[in-house]
Amino acid sequence: MITGGAQDVVLCTTGLSKTFAGTTVLQDAHLEVKRGEIHALLGGNGSGKSTLIKVLAGVYGADSGGRIAVQGVSAPADEWSPAMARNAGLHFVHQDPAVFGPLTVAENLAIGRGFIQAVGGRINWPANRRRAAKILERFSIDVSPEALVANLRPAERTMLSIARALQDQEGAHDGVLVLDEPTASLPAWEVDILLAALRKYAAAGQTILYVSHRLPEILELADRVTVLRDGIQVATRDIAELDERSLVELIAGRDLERVFPDRPATVSEEIALSVRGLVAGPLRGVDLDLRRGEVLGVAGLLGSGRTTLLRALFGDINIESGQLTLEGAPFRPRRPASAMRAGVAMVPEDRGAEGLFGSLSVRENLSAAVVPRYWSLGRLQHGRERSDASALVGAYAVRPASDAAVAGTLSGGNQQKVVMARWLRRDPVVLLLDEPTQGVDVQARSEIYEHVRRAVAKGSSVLLVTSDFEELAHLSDRVVVLRDGRVAAEARGGDLDPQRLTELSYISEETSA
Amino acid sequence: MTTTTQPDAHHAEPLVSPKRGRPDPAVLLEKYALAGMFILLCVVFANMSSTAETFPTVANIKNVLGGESVIAIAALASILPLTCGQFDLSVGAVIGLSSIVGASAVATHDLPVAVAVLAGVLAGSLVGAFNGWLVAYRGVNALIATLGTSTLVAGLVSLYTDNQIISVGIPESLTNLGAGDLLGIPRPVYAIAIVALFVYYLLRHTPYGRYLASVGASPSSARLVGLNVPRMILSSFVLSGALSGIAGILLLARAGTANPQVGPGFTLAALSAAFLGATAIRPGTFNVPGTLLGVLFVAISVNGLVLAGTADWVEPTFNGVALLVAVTLSTAIARRRAGQT
Repeated sequence: MITGGAQDVVLCTTGLSKTFAGTTVLQDAHLEVKRGEIHALLGGNGSGKSTLIKVLAGVYGADSGGRIAVQGVSAPADEWSPAMARNAGLHFVHQDPAVFGPLTVAENLAIGRGFIQAVGGRINWPANRRRAAKILERFSIDVSPEALVANLRPAERTMLSIARALQDQEGAHDGVLVLDEPTASLPAWEVDILLAALRKYAAAGQTILYVSHRLPEILELADRVTVLRDGIQVATRDIAELDERSLVELIAGRDLERVFPDRPATVSEEIALSVRGLVAGPLRGVDLDLRRGEVLGVAGLLGSGRTTLLRALFGDINIESGQLTLEGAPFRPRRPASAMRAGVAMVPEDRGAEGLFGSLSVRENLSAAVVPRYWSLGRLQHGRERSDASALVGAYAVRPASDAAVAGTLSGGNQQKVVMARWLRRDPVVLLLDEPTQGVDVQARSEIYEHVRRAVAKGSSVLLVTSDFEELAHLSDRVVVLRDGRVAAEARGGDLDPQRLTELSYISEETSA
Repeated sequence: MTTTTQPDAHHAEPLVSPKRGRPDPAVLLEKYALAGMFILLCVVFANMSSTAETFPTVANIKNVLGGESVIAIAALASILPLTCGQFDLSVGAVIGLSSIVGASAVATHDLPVAVAVLAGVLAGSLVGAFNGWLVAYRGVNALIATLGTSTLVAGLVSLYTDNQIISVGIPESLTNLGAGDLLGIPRPVYAIAIVALFVYYLLRHTPYGRYLASVGASPSSARLVGLNVPRMILSSFVLSGALSGIAGILLLARAGTANPQVGPGFTLAALSAAFLGATAIRPGTFNVPGTLLGVLFVAISVNGLVLAGTADWVEPTFNGVALLVAVTLSTAIARRRAGQT
């Protein structure tokens, strides 16, 4: 046992640096986590946050000179290994909880730790079930040890993987639980369940290092926060001293106002897309008008049908009924190709699986929606394609600045710029954006906003779905709120602030809409 | 702009593409390693005492080129479904089917040679269409679907022929296609050249080829740039079947007989060549020059070993090793390209 000193620091790193091929991604990082606190680690993509976590896990070897100390185990950072991390009591749970859907809860808990065995090496199922039940009770997970993990709700799966990581820890006061973006793929109501559980664990004395992009979550949950920017630790503060704005300033290193481009003074009255009584999936009669040159934000909780709305307009989800007009002409897309012909473009939410062709070059990714343009004289005009692609790489500041780079090796922000450029080069009449800045660093984010504004200035109209209310408020000219499959409220002018939009989305008995 | 001077992980990369300037030696090595090994093997066999007399002769080279024509066309057929991410294990069975259909058309039904060729190609296309329907529209795993069709086709061929070789009544106008030289080059080489040019053109110079590669890279992304993914997959199997049909006719022309037993044996040899090809010229991508190089590499190795008088077990063992090495290497290259290591 470690004796609790005045400070009682459980985890401490000093002078931690990491260099990849001459590029310093982490410099002299100092992280200090006190026993029993929830310590948030914040920073944009490329800030060195993931690198720091991987160094702590022993996955990356740090540069020599640094030191890592966990519960009195102290070692030079370049000698830190996964085994040392484990022995020192660091437990990692990642965004994807890595549980096994087809197996039971009890089996999932036993995997990696070992089953209790009876004579002859066979598994003693009753003993395993009893042990599992005890663990589930300790972590307040209200499921049966016999339940199939596939049938658990998402938050419970994450809680299960936390339980699995911590099951061997004697008391709640030992060790550090490192949670890496645990809520990134959870719907909002699941996040609430998970956060409630985390609060309970923390109250029992569990030390938690919490990595997340979601500021409201951090403000709600954490005791202290360490912010990284460009590989440097910019601040460690008590959360009580901070609000969302000051956190954004710490992450972005500049004033919030300058992240977003100015909104143009006027939007034309001409209607580009009109939707009446749209029924598709969870949508039960959506009415909206999108004006030419307008950014129309779509707010709503997950499951409200935001993504369905975009996909229906892009012909990817069957429209059951409704009257749609695009630039005055009837519009009823049956598949993405017909929506594209009518001038609609969509940047999907899941960039990795549905936007990017990871194994193809940036050039091929940029051309993906305009291949027939290069088909002339019986062959693809590769020279013309290459020079167009280079021009786009330049215009969108894609790094590395090569149209031949393999798209999957780019950072998230650069991948998203490539997907944006692929669609914007078509000068779409209507651009559908689904979470366009998810997993994108602050710098690329403001570049993406800039490109959206430029497209709008050229006459495109944008339908923007995002769960980031700040983004919604600053980028949209007008916002509609989806609730229960319908447009439940509309916000414009003075109502376009994150607070108000959050209220409109969350509060179902909103009368002033 | 940010005011920081610290390089950030993704902003610090070189501004100039390494591809434009001087080629990276590692990249060159990867591209031409297979070609280098091929040349090295040729030099070894030409100088090794046991093969020095027979290997570097015109007759032997013609024999290898002619003998590999069926496998070469089958390998070229298989890279179309492979490019859109699907295995076709039925190329061999289709070769057998097409040679039987062609032989039966001319020998049993006295049809003109042109009709026999068309019938063989059509039979292959139909099998391909069935494969494609199963995979693209019924969601069956391509390995299982094509293994199933392959077995089914072999069974039906056996039923139709009663396992008898069709050897009587194959006209000379057909066997002439597979035998002899034209301008000093074996006739089957022209068939390879035509099919190779066709597949190369399709994959590299038409939107269709780009679409196949897109579907192979990410079916969901392909759907969301407006491609009809099931139709692409179906068409790649139909083309693979049709080209295998051509390979079957070529087999018939070269052998002068149609043997209901030989077809399925071509599948693994074709896939070996295709995967070896994906390690060369355009590493990580199934490509035509690489595939041809793969065919030649395996052919020359086996030819040299046979001439050196090695035992019967050497050829299948070598083919097996070649396939495993090829698949392992091409997978590693593709993963590294996608930044997954």
